[in-house]
Amino acid sequence: MQYKDYYQIMGLSRSANQAEIKRAYRKLARKYHPDVSKEPDAEAKFKELGEAYEVLKDPQKRAAYDKLGSNWKAGEDFSPPPKWDEGFEFRGGGFTGGDANAFSAFFAQLFGRDGFRPADQVPHGFRVRGQDSHAKIYIDLEDSIQGATRNISLSTPEMDAQGRVQIKHRNLNIKIPKGVKPGQHIRLAGQGDPGLGDGKSGDLLLEIAFNNHPLYRVSGTDIYLDLPVTPWEARLGAKIKIPTPVGTVDLKIPPHSEQGTKLRLKGHGLPAKTPGDFYVVLQIALPPAHSEEAKAAYQKMQHEFDFNPRVSMGV
Amino acid sequence: MTSHHLLPVHTGTVIEDDNLTLGQLCHACGVHADWVISLVEESIIEPQEGDEMHLWRFSGASLVRVRSALRLQRDLGVNLAGIALALDLIEELEQLRTRLKIMGHD
Repeated sequence: MQYKDYYQIMGLSRSANQAEIKRAYRKLARKYHPDVSKEPDAEAKFKELGEAYEVLKDPQKRAAYDKLGSNWKAGEDFSPPPKWDEGFEFRGGGFTGGDANAFSAFFAQLFGRDGFRPADQVPHGFRVRGQDSHAKIYIDLEDSIQGATRNISLSTPEMDAQGRVQIKHRNLNIKIPKGVKPGQHIRLAGQGDPGLGDGKSGDLLLEIAFNNHPLYRVSGTDIYLDLPVTPWEARLGAKIKIPTPVGTVDLKIPPHSEQGTKLRLKGHGLPAKTPGDFYVVLQIALPPAHSEEAKAAYQKMQHEFDFNPRVSMGV
Repeated sequence: MTSHHLLPVHTGTVIEDDNLTLGQLCHACGVHADWVISLVEESIIEPQEGDEMHLWRFSGASLVRVRSALRLQRDLGVNLAGIALALDLIEELEQLRTRLKIMGHD
């Protein structure tokens, strides 16, 4: 088990007073709250912060934690000295908030877990349906378009008979229904938390998110593709081949197209009762002018066109 | 071949828009109905169909909002009016981020 430096996590010195601890928590909680923050490790940081605050805001727990001494380094292998908690009164119900399920093994070793009841203590005949559990899964755009079977791995905190929390990893093969959209949920009946007593298990609710795709972007049920075209294809019109998630298709570019012109292939987005659309956004690409011939061609354009793109700027 | 092929394949049901009852929403989020009703009163989530509670139907998106609301209240001590404001701003921010991404500026 690794030692956790709660002061370091909260960016505080060991002499910080209670008001400073509260201010530091509020500030960091807003910064790392998983609903607000876009930092990639926000959720882990937020859990760590909640745990640190749980200890430091409570004078009893903080005093007990301080008694471990300041010589420990974060991450150092740790086991509490015998009788280290003698004389402190936080055992059994010192929890004032936060999600205690998420706290580390280090925390559990020092302060125990509250709100848990080992399975073998459930009174006879007592029956409660298990909680629904939630997870977010990332799938590829193609999975939604064609339907797919994907293997997902989930980590769930579970209680053993001694009331210790352990992270259980499990793999599930799940069917990705055709046309599922980012933000939608898939319900897997009976795959949530186990019930107590004879109660049924809860459901597992999977929130769908899409992996970033190298070519396509998804917005609702619509799919977008940035398509490079030559200046003459845009201006004169052309029939070209373009990639789509279901294969190559022919696209007619109308004459007089501009940079950023959006062309719509109706119904070629995500499958649904009303399927989404596929949008092609034209990106005009300029040919290089390395060779003498290419330079001559650009010079010819310069002479042929009386073209000033900065005319609206008055220069 | 990996061992994954030996596992059974689970087929779930997609939660379509507007097909969660109040009871299902409460159970899915592990919260009391009274609290969900107060979210509806604050117009943090909006049920479709009917004024009567037993006719209420919620969307899959409400699931995300209720759970965010729960975390904002529990972790940051935000009250209902603050939750409503925060969720609306977060949603607007996400729409803007999506638009930026579509314009290729991400």
